[in-house]
Amino acid sequence: MRLAWRGTELWLLLPLLLLVPLGFVITHVAESQVLEPGPLGLATAYVALVLAAHLVLVLSGHRGDQLLLPLVATIGAIGIVMLNRLPGGTSLLGLNIGLAVTQVAWFGIGLIAMLAVAIGFRDDGLLRHYKYTWAAGGVALLVFTILFGTEINGARLWIYIGPIGFQPGEFIKIVLVIFIAGYLAENRALLAGASYRIGPISVPPLPYLLPMLAIFFGVMLVVAVSNDLGTALLFFGIFLTMLFVATGRRSYVLIGLLLFVTGSYVAYRLFAHVRLRVDVWLDPFADPSGAGYQIVHALYAFGRGGLFGDGLGRGLLPTVPGFFAIQTDFIFTAIAEELGLVGAFALLAFAVFLVFRGLRVAVLARDEFSSLLAVGLTTSIGLQTLIIVAGNAKLIPLTGITFPFLSYGGSSILASFLIIGLLLSISHRAAAEGDQVPR
Amino acid sequence: MTGDALRILLLGAQLGFLLLLYLILFGFARSLVRDLRSAEHAQLASRTGIGRLAVLESPEDEPPQGRTISLGPINSIGRNVNNTIYVEDEFASANHAMLTFRGRSWFVEDQGSTNGTLVNGHRIDRPVALSYGDEISVGRVRMRLER
Repeated sequence: MRLAWRGTELWLLLPLLLLVPLGFVITHVAESQVLEPGPLGLATAYVALVLAAHLVLVLSGHRGDQLLLPLVATIGAIGIVMLNRLPGGTSLLGLNIGLAVTQVAWFGIGLIAMLAVAIGFRDDGLLRHYKYTWAAGGVALLVFTILFGTEINGARLWIYIGPIGFQPGEFIKIVLVIFIAGYLAENRALLAGASYRIGPISVPPLPYLLPMLAIFFGVMLVVAVSNDLGTALLFFGIFLTMLFVATGRRSYVLIGLLLFVTGSYVAYRLFAHVRLRVDVWLDPFADPSGAGYQIVHALYAFGRGGLFGDGLGRGLLPTVPGFFAIQTDFIFTAIAEELGLVGAFALLAFAVFLVFRGLRVAVLARDEFSSLLAVGLTTSIGLQTLIIVAGNAKLIPLTGITFPFLSYGGSSILASFLIIGLLLSISHRAAAEGDQVPR
Repeated sequence: MTGDALRILLLGAQLGFLLLLYLILFGFARSLVRDLRSAEHAQLASRTGIGRLAVLESPEDEPPQGRTISLGPINSIGRNVNNTIYVEDEFASANHAMLTFRGRSWFVEDQGSTNGTLVNGHRIDRPVALSYGDEISVGRVRMRLER
């Protein structure tokens, strides 16, 4: 196989050699009040893993997008620096293993999965032709989770095999995107073209939409019943975006938004836990020591952070008694407290660049399926970031969802890396085929 | 080392961390912009054609207003769908005009249309040589010849 020199990627990865150790040293000095570097093994391991992944891409002659890996690695680096100082972790054989150690291990696994997908997927027929199989598998996994899953924090999202738990929702997301992309690519012309007119309103061709709608609303129903509101919102957003991109019809978006508003209202009326979330969002200070506790303290943390932040290792959020799920749901808040508005903006900018790059992959893709797949996968990363950040900042009701590559959690990291792997493989194919004809 | 000195050192390191973060961000932004520029160049290079028509005004939106049509050496314009450039306008004739590239320049010729073909607002009665930037009107559709 031919080598492919990935200069831009290497150049953008090199600053991590300084950034991650610097973050670790600042945290250590701030916490111990002693001027010494502290342990740097973990920081080194993280950067080494990322550089190794780069090397594998070079050796395999991969010609995919060169900004995806550095962007992901930079977001992940900020996460590792933060997780390194958070309390908690698991104990294994009497040894306490911190969150950051587990996270770096998951990054290793995720990077391997990304490389396998990026290099292994030379042909997308496996995804495209078996879309119903994929969808059925996803639905089966979902139902299995509902029946046999473990309930944590009021939502049944986890499957435990021995001590290792994973969240099938993260993978169902990818499967759903594959299915929708396959279906839309096959029926796009019908969906975009044909329509029945009833008076001035043009009605979308429902018969062609039905198979997709059936599967989609089945998934939505199951997700909603399992109390996973963030995921339901995410799936709905991905679905609408892909439908709009494929057909270019604003009426779909309009109908979708209408359905969303109605559905939200019905859910608010019917389910107590939805009402609680919304009420807490509207006025967290009504019950600051009870239901509003998390939000109130998150808002205080944003305020304490100010413009330039309290400083790494000096944030107070991890010391707030009874404040849980910093490492997953509130990691953005914790970072905003320690790095301030300036740092939080940088983080969001990296996320925006990632979305921009993903959409570029979609534009340059050679066929409709790849293009729609890239759009759906990118939307999932972008929307997920948007939903959790907006939830942290009390812009929308808080829903338990992860910040891709930043939040702690094996399933989230692995699924996000699978997405990057797919984007890399799509852009590689576009680059390999597109030598002759620029588009 | 006193507490104050340590605090100042930490503050400096913190600002350094943020600065580094923004330098990385700047690096990404530069790569993004460079890619956009090269995409533009690729697009420019692919315009090997002899000319294009920019649709300035199109009441029925066929050809779509704002669209640029790349031209071959011989182009027929009219309301008949078999024309190279199909114009959906009730003021256009079925076979309205011919736009041809001969030798080194563009020519437009009316094909006996009912409402005539206009070049820069003047009705033509014989083949007229065009230069890039000239406006052609077929029915209510206005188009500009571009390189």
